[in-house]
Amino acid sequence: MTTLARAQEALVDALFAWPAQEAVQRLESFARGVGASPQRGLLAYQANGHMLAARALQAAYPVVAQLLGDESFAHLARAHWHAHPPTRGDIAQWGAELPLFIQSDPQLSVEPYLPDVARVEWRLHCASTAMDQEAHWTSLALLTEEDPQTLGLTLAPGTSWVCSAWPVASIWLAHSQEAPSLAEAGALIRQRVPQDCVVWRQGLSPQLRQALPGEFTLLDALGSGAALEPALSVANTLDFTQWLPLAIQTGLVLGAYRLSTKESP
Amino acid sequence: MQPHGTPTLFTGLGWRQPHYAQVLQERPALDFLEVHSENFFGSGGAALNVLEQGRAAYPISLHGVGLSLGSAIGLDEWHLAQLVQLVERIEPVRVSDHASFARGTFRGQPVHTADLLPLPFHREALSVLAVNVQCVQDRLKRPILVENISAYVQWHTPDAQMTEPDFLNTLTRETGCSLLVDINNIYVNARNAQLAGLCPDPVAACQLWIEQIRPDSVGEVHLAGHCHVNDASGEIVIDDHGSRVVAPVWDLYRHAVARFGNVPTLIEWDTDVPSLAILLEEVSLARHHAASVLGAHA
Repeated sequence: MTTLARAQEALVDALFAWPAQEAVQRLESFARGVGASPQRGLLAYQANGHMLAARALQAAYPVVAQLLGDESFAHLARAHWHAHPPTRGDIAQWGAELPLFIQSDPQLSVEPYLPDVARVEWRLHCASTAMDQEAHWTSLALLTEEDPQTLGLTLAPGTSWVCSAWPVASIWLAHSQEAPSLAEAGALIRQRVPQDCVVWRQGLSPQLRQALPGEFTLLDALGSGAALEPALSVANTLDFTQWLPLAIQTGLVLGAYRLSTKESP
Repeated sequence: MQPHGTPTLFTGLGWRQPHYAQVLQERPALDFLEVHSENFFGSGGAALNVLEQGRAAYPISLHGVGLSLGSAIGLDEWHLAQLVQLVERIEPVRVSDHASFARGTFRGQPVHTADLLPLPFHREALSVLAVNVQCVQDRLKRPILVENISAYVQWHTPDAQMTEPDFLNTLTRETGCSLLVDINNIYVNARNAQLAGLCPDPVAACQLWIEQIRPDSVGEVHLAGHCHVNDASGEIVIDDHGSRVVAPVWDLYRHAVARFGNVPTLIEWDTDVPSLAILLEEVSLARHHAASVLGAHA
């Protein structure tokens, strides 16, 4: 390792190690802080990292932040910053491990639905920058003209789903759109009502709703490239005639295509 | 319309999320918009859509904060690929990042500190920086601009230490990159040196810094505010981009314009972002100060 690499590693250690005392002592042989005292500059970098951690996670996990409150969320963000430092230079990429981190924290076990709410929010966060996809409404005529064994459906950017033993869709919607109410979501939590939910992007806006029975099975099959007919036979609890108009109207389905060409007409 | 024979001044604004919609609606008289490249990584979505609308109305400058050009462990290929994709899509007037590092190893794994950490001004660091800058320029097929930073730690470099202007001048000679001179960063560094008892006259130190830079290498100037913190941990000046440009920095800006000539100038404000009207006042002030030196009409 070069001298420069050792020096850089010492500074990175002093920023991420927690507690930082030993790493800070090691850094002293390479550098001193600026300002009125040798430690002051390093504290400025540490404080900036902690502030950035809270701001970045707040942007990706707004409902988790509401559920925990500002102080607890800032504490969680700081702990996550040191346990799982960013690996990319785009801070918006950081935070994918937060759901598991929450799950492993015994202090957060009093809110057992929190990891699944976090999973949902990370999917929404990813959907916000997924590749744009244009709708091809005329291609939907294929559904009435051709054998469903030969057709696939084009799904919206960022389409994914989360299965949960908790009413995560209701919890998220109550905190972000006030429908259902917080009281209604609270009642569903006490009853431990399980909810699967679907995430997608309608135009430029990420969306979430509770999944219909069998819906995530269908989306899973379609997302793996299966034809419509076998996908429907796996998702046999889904009422396709109810689902398709809803999916088209809300931009979850953007068109149909022949599997042989893999292209929307 | 500029009177005959007077130069056009190029003054832009750091375009941040609170003013995305207002700038697109009101189209204020700005010569360019500058955005942080990383805020537009990704393949689609609302942010990219906004940037493309901005691109239709203004020249765009892409200013990165995460390339980590000075990292001894090298560049992140993912980051570079994202930047290449964005540059191809937006066709910016300028692409820039910082003379700093952020990537390093922690517990044996590469990590990114999401900050602009200083480099020692010695030959080894310069070689690493030059190789990485060259790599970025090769991938983008265009020269980039590299910005001087404000630093809160200072490396012990017992020998072969260069001054920061020497370091940056050599970088431009070796790579063909240009410099993005941040006047506020020079001043913040000098003020912190003053607090440490190392710099009796910060303004004079900054003037000397500016005079040591090769004028033909400067492609853009940044102006921003800073804050003076004096808390239980001690006294320090922080480049927080959270207030108006202070009088000594305006004085130094005039000094820089006299030395570098008519280069594009940007107003940056990233913390507690104020109303667009206040930002445009700062832009007007920058035009006024440049015009007073160049004899142009602001």
